[in-house]
Amino acid sequence: MKKIIAYIQKDEWSPYSAGVLLGLIGIWVATAATAFRDPAIALGASGAFESIFGGLTQLVASDWVAKNVYFRAVRLPGVTWEVVMLLGVFIGGALGAISSGTWKLRWMPEKQWAEAFGKSRVTRWVLVFIGAILLEYGAGVAGGCTSGLAIWGGLQLAPAAFVFMGGMFATGILTALVVYRRRY
Amino acid sequence: MSVPEIVIALVLGIGFGFALNKAGLTQYHKIVNVFRFTDLAVLKFMMTALIVAMAGLFGLDALGLLALPVPPQTYIVGNLLGGMIFGIGMSGVGI
Repeated sequence: MKKIIAYIQKDEWSPYSAGVLLGLIGIWVATAATAFRDPAIALGASGAFESIFGGLTQLVASDWVAKNVYFRAVRLPGVTWEVVMLLGVFIGGALGAISSGTWKLRWMPEKQWAEAFGKSRVTRWVLVFIGAILLEYGAGVAGGCTSGLAIWGGLQLAPAAFVFMGGMFATGILTALVVYRRRY
Repeated sequence: MSVPEIVIALVLGIGFGFALNKAGLTQYHKIVNVFRFTDLAVLKFMMTALIVAMAGLFGLDALGLLALPVPPQTYIVGNLLGGMIFGIGMSGVGI
């Protein structure tokens, strides 16, 4: 028991044990989808941002959201399963950091980031903002992100998941080559 | 959404975030280094989760305890293009 608690408190688990935990959660999500008969239930994250946007836009322009094909057929606006789960992800991530005693607020997170892009916080904020737009836009086009499509689709053997992962690694490797050049 | 559904979504989300944090995937270098092939934690984490979940999901389905959910739609050009845009963002800024 002491060993288990000590392992939980470790800063970094073996990726295999963390993967087992996520796999079990994936099974639970599928069980919940069966139990609640809610087609919106999925192990996803990126769709939540779209639902939140749709829900907020409903407050000021409900006609536009009601007519919008995307919000009618692809992502439902408002508080969906993924929105609640995303909130849980923030709490869970924080709990993970608190349990290992590494919880702190930081503006400049990474040694490796500073080596690649310099120490400027402005650069970091601008780049992360642009990167996040690309992420969310790409996820919107593909129909999911690394969790909603690659993991949730992959565990159901959906071809889309593997096509997505192929595309992601193709440009991801190229981008890393550009960023790190000779230090690759 | 009913109250039990919200509670379960929150609990599973907490577990998801906990697993991501403990695998170290909340850090820039973990995400970027998988694209540099210097740290494959992301792949190890994802593939382990896939194997465990697949075994459980298809096992429970074979026992008739579970209805397989509707998988994400496949539309190859969109999936691929979206993945390629996603990859630039993911590898560029490590989120």
